[in-house]
Amino acid sequence: MLKLLLIGIKDLKLMFRDRAALILILLAPFLLTLGMGLVTGRFSGGNSGISDIPIVIVNLDKDSLGNALVDVFNSEDLADLVEPTSSEDSEAARLLVDGDEAAAAIIIPAGFTQSVIPQNESAVSNQEITIEFYSNPSRPTSAGIIKAILDGFMARLDEMRLGGLTSISQLIVSGRISPQDANQVGEEMGARLRQNAAGNANEATAIALNTSTSEGEAVEFDALAYFAPGMALMFLMYTVSYGGRSILAEKSQGTLPRLLVSPTDSLQVLGGKVFGIFLTGAAQMLILIGASSLFFQLKWGDAFGVVLLVLAAVFGATGWGMLITALARTPAQVGSVGSAVMLIFAMLGGSFVQLDNLPAFVQTLGRITPNAWAMDGFTTLAFGGTLTSLSTPMLALLTMGILLFSISAVLFGKKNLVQK
Amino acid sequence: MKKIFAIAWKDTIVRFASASEWLFFIILPILFTFIFAGGVPTGDEDNRIRLVVVDEAQTAISQEIIRELENSTSVRPDVLSRAEAEEQFDSRRAIALLIIPPDLDVESIQNGTAQMDFRQPPNNMDASIAERAVQTAVRRVSSVVSAANMAVDEAKARGAFESAEAEQAYFNQALELAKSLQEDSPERVTTIQGNTPDDFDYDPQANVSAGQLITWVFIPLFGISALFAYERQGGTLRRVLTTPTSKATFLLGTISGQVAMALIQMTLLVVFAVFAFKLNWGNPLGVFLILACSALAAAAIGTAMGTFIKSEGQATGLSVMAGMMLGMLGGCWFPLELFPPVMQTIAQIFPTTWAMQGLLDLLLRGAGVLEILPEAGVLTVFAGIFFGVGVWRFRFE
Repeated sequence: MLKLLLIGIKDLKLMFRDRAALILILLAPFLLTLGMGLVTGRFSGGNSGISDIPIVIVNLDKDSLGNALVDVFNSEDLADLVEPTSSEDSEAARLLVDGDEAAAAIIIPAGFTQSVIPQNESAVSNQEITIEFYSNPSRPTSAGIIKAILDGFMARLDEMRLGGLTSISQLIVSGRISPQDANQVGEEMGARLRQNAAGNANEATAIALNTSTSEGEAVEFDALAYFAPGMALMFLMYTVSYGGRSILAEKSQGTLPRLLVSPTDSLQVLGGKVFGIFLTGAAQMLILIGASSLFFQLKWGDAFGVVLLVLAAVFGATGWGMLITALARTPAQVGSVGSAVMLIFAMLGGSFVQLDNLPAFVQTLGRITPNAWAMDGFTTLAFGGTLTSLSTPMLALLTMGILLFSISAVLFGKKNLVQK
Repeated sequence: MKKIFAIAWKDTIVRFASASEWLFFIILPILFTFIFAGGVPTGDEDNRIRLVVVDEAQTAISQEIIRELENSTSVRPDVLSRAEAEEQFDSRRAIALLIIPPDLDVESIQNGTAQMDFRQPPNNMDASIAERAVQTAVRRVSSVVSAANMAVDEAKARGAFESAEAEQAYFNQALELAKSLQEDSPERVTTIQGNTPDDFDYDPQANVSAGQLITWVFIPLFGISALFAYERQGGTLRRVLTTPTSKATFLLGTISGQVAMALIQMTLLVVFAVFAFKLNWGNPLGVFLILACSALAAAAIGTAMGTFIKSEGQATGLSVMAGMMLGMLGGCWFPLELFPPVMQTIAQIFPTTWAMQGLLDLLLRGAGVLEILPEAGVLTVFAGIFFGVGVWRFRFE
């Protein structure tokens, strides 16, 4: 066991003394993460998610429903989401949208309330006055959210109006009131509805929505929480193939069989070399995680979970490194195939583009990579997940590692890699 | 001229000595282009918040709720099994989860026992938006039942029903009436698309093809530095001194060989995009000009790098890193228009930005040779400056 440890630590030291290797092991993933942060606006505050959506409201109605709608957008509930401003000029509001200064303009025309809940004449209005939703096409998401809030308000109005009309019609049909009394009852009901609309537009629905909030701290989306592990995992694959290359290099230089002259058996030698690769990969990941936490204030989530996931990811990746080594004939082959595998796994595993955006077959194929499973785990942790929520990626990575190590061991045995 | 050709040919043989070079020369660039062309954000994809829905009821009402959610402008429902949905929510891959229980139907709404579960993480704006969208959808679906209930309440306020059956019959009548009234409900919101100018020209296949082409060609051209380091380490550069070969001839031979290979590689990638995506690259002369100037600029940077870097290993690592960094910062991976304004300005110092700009002008904006001259000019200036540095600092030993 001690020999295994010594060989492993010796390889770890060798790797970290190699300046050329350090460029790709540490410098490249760190700088690429920095670059991702720069281009996604992570360092310029442009990545804080949806908030403070600027809108303009023109309330020409100035009656209960128009005012109620203005109140909805100025409510405490929406204070963080919407930044409403008022205007008296419809054309000026539209120009603000055209100039990309607002995500949408809501223009409530004069007489809107009267058209929905008529105060005089009949209970049913013939005059249809519509609210204008002037949308900014270059901000589809923000405009969509504002439209959804407006739709919610309108759905509430419609529900009240439908209730009123149905009630009055049924009262007349059933003979509970006379048609002559309909106007008076309608006005009484209308007054109640107006009061309700102004009071709480989000009044409970007929289907109760039991909202529960999961435990844990509130977590905001951070683009780097995705890209930092993505880059680290990509270059982890470089590290494991580089380690594999060193096994073949030592064999061709004769230093590996020479070790067998010492009282060390072949299993210990090979185990030590593999352990060295594992240690290097783990050290690489932990250094990158530490550096990104320190320099980019990146929150990786539950520390214990992060360490366990790193170990599982490195185990899975080392398995791939061993398989490449077992299949290759020369160190150069391991180098070039390893680099290609590094890039392919990065692509399939979602290091460059989120897996959800890639075609379905790529998402399925990506599951053979340690990158995809580890990315799942790191994203889960970054969003506040705990150790229990890591069971699937951990299990997948460990299974992957065991399977690949077993195949590699058989292939190594066939190649008599550590023969005197 | 013969010497230059001989040096270029020797470099080609060295480079392609290993069959794996084909992986990086053509196979991986094509693979990356093909997959990313369908996977990078276009700005046209469904940006609505994903709401995971479990429909255990499978009733007309539950289906109607899902249909209403599909029409929402803020959320897009994704119907999954309960196990899958809970697994996604627990592992934070879903931001909001709606569970429609098995007993949700008209009767449960009528007797006031209807309920659904909505789960969200703490203090999450997207989840709050999703909750609001669910309430709107539910209100739309249940409003007819609510209206019928209200009618029953109004009737009761004016006298009790004779029997439970009479009350139910009254409810049923009111429900039918509410449904017909809802069908005739006027649309009360008119949506008008504004005239906000959208300068963002984007075509995923064009952008990815151009971006991947530049990235995969810049990396090996930066790798000229590794070629110098390899020859210097092996002592072959020193040996050239014994032959009647000048520094200029040697550099010209090495660089022209790599640039020629880059042009072949780029041509293959251009042809691939034409066949795979039916991409129209625009003016052929303009395309050649931009590709040639880009290759020269990248080769010049590789030459300059080669005079600073001592070992082949370092040169290889730095070439890969520099190529990826410049590709990313130059808008080859993500459209430059999506960068923060300050990064868009900083990006102007990278040759990849100008190469990308030139190709996109040809691909997306139908530019001619004259229109892409500024980009070609800047790339030539890059080439001039870095070749100058390279020749000035180049030593055989």
